[in-house]
Amino acid sequence: MATKRGMPGDLLWGLPIMLALAFIAALVIAWAEKSKSAIPDLGEVPAFQLTERSGQELTRADMMGRLFVVDFFFTNCPSVCPLMTRTLKPLYDLYKNSDKVRFLSISVDPASDSLPALQAFAKEYGITDNRWLFARAPIEDVRKLMREGFMLNADDLPAGHPTYYILVDDKAHIRGFYPFNEEGAIYVLKQHIRELAREM
Amino acid sequence: MKAFLRLSVFATLGTYLLIFIGGLVRVSGAGLGCPDWPKCFGRWVPPLSLSQLPPDVNPVMFNVALAWIEWLNRLAGVIVGVLIAATAIMALVKFRHVKRIWIPAVLSALLVAFQGWQGGAVVLSQLNPLSVSLHLLIAIVIASLLTYMTQHAYYLDVGSPEDAGAYSKGLRTTIVVLWIVAFVQVLFGASLRGSLETLMASHPLANDYELLNLLGGVKYVHLLIGVAIAVMTYQVGYMVFKTDTQPSLLVRYAIWLLIILITLQLFAGTGLIAIALPPLLELFHLWIAALFLGTLLILYTAVKPVKEVS
Repeated sequence: MATKRGMPGDLLWGLPIMLALAFIAALVIAWAEKSKSAIPDLGEVPAFQLTERSGQELTRADMMGRLFVVDFFFTNCPSVCPLMTRTLKPLYDLYKNSDKVRFLSISVDPASDSLPALQAFAKEYGITDNRWLFARAPIEDVRKLMREGFMLNADDLPAGHPTYYILVDDKAHIRGFYPFNEEGAIYVLKQHIRELAREM
Repeated sequence: MKAFLRLSVFATLGTYLLIFIGGLVRVSGAGLGCPDWPKCFGRWVPPLSLSQLPPDVNPVMFNVALAWIEWLNRLAGVIVGVLIAATAIMALVKFRHVKRIWIPAVLSALLVAFQGWQGGAVVLSQLNPLSVSLHLLIAIVIASLLTYMTQHAYYLDVGSPEDAGAYSKGLRTTIVVLWIVAFVQVLFGASLRGSLETLMASHPLANDYELLNLLGGVKYVHLLIGVAIAVMTYQVGYMVFKTDTQPSLLVRYAIWLLIILITLQLFAGTGLIAIALPPLLELFHLWIAALFLGTLLILYTAVKPVKEVS
């Protein structure tokens, strides 16, 4: 009997199986990609007027063309705000090479948070450039912005301020609320920033 | 006998399919599709829409596609786990006297239970690259054990068909060397993937081209080793077919499968560098690696003379 060396024909069945698997996998991957980039649009940030720690005016127009991670805080806050700022700091460092992502912390205690107080607070956390803005406005304006702009509870300020980071896209539309104390939420926040930055 | 062989084949093929599905979870970025474990958003079946989310869950965490892809891996894992457990029980009942069947069967059953738990740890570690690689490594070990067991179940079923083969002395050594190099190459590949994850974390806005550049020249070392593995594989094929002996059907299948797999793998790997990490190629690159190691084990076992089983 001659030695058989040729490729067994049955192995060709592997081809349609591989192709079928590839086809299904391609569909699943496309589904995942599409769904990852479909980040809900939760509405437009209304017009507002704030004053930044540098003394410059800050309006909605300044949010255009960049992604913003927004939070509400006050400098004399005993517990939660320092944690929120400390959790956000690594993100501030992470995006240091990009001009696409900025941070905005709005004071809910403008009576105490003068511009020098905001400056001192930023300095304390090593925030030296204007990729992270700290801003204030009269309390009624802040309340209005929180309620009408960001759909947040503003009844019990400053202590009862919300503990979310809010992602605002380059057209000043709100794209998500991320609880600061959930590690998974920060992961999703980074993913959403990545997706939105890709479209810019 | 036939029933056990059939069950073994199902368990083995199921495990390789599971590795494919696991790779799919990875390349589609669905690893945290369910942030909790073992349930998914507090449910045994993931929510289909936001309205089904438990009230304490932030809707921003929920992505229906990613949740279902991750859940598919868990479901398939449970099904394959049950298949493997059934195989192990049947092996213990029927083949207590055949070590090369019951030992790998029981080991793979223990490992697959551990793998389920470790999969939960992968999720809870927020996809730590080392945890993810360990998850793949355990899967490859399970698949290899099952492959080995199934091959022996096949031999018991058909008698010992390898007697006709008389292979050159260096062949088995070459196969062992090839296996070791291929295994190290798989670890290397997993570490490259891990480096990419780390780079992605430190360069959050980099696209795939930039990430690939940041990875540096080490990817070409991986490619070169891949070429060496391909050459060694062709050499093994040559060593078998140049002799006058009649290779068994299994040997013939194994060698041709290895040649096809390693050739495809070279194309997939080159493609990953050339087109910058398309997910589908990444998936097949990982899967082919697992299939290659398993097939190499079949070849090694086949060219090893099989002792009579009492």
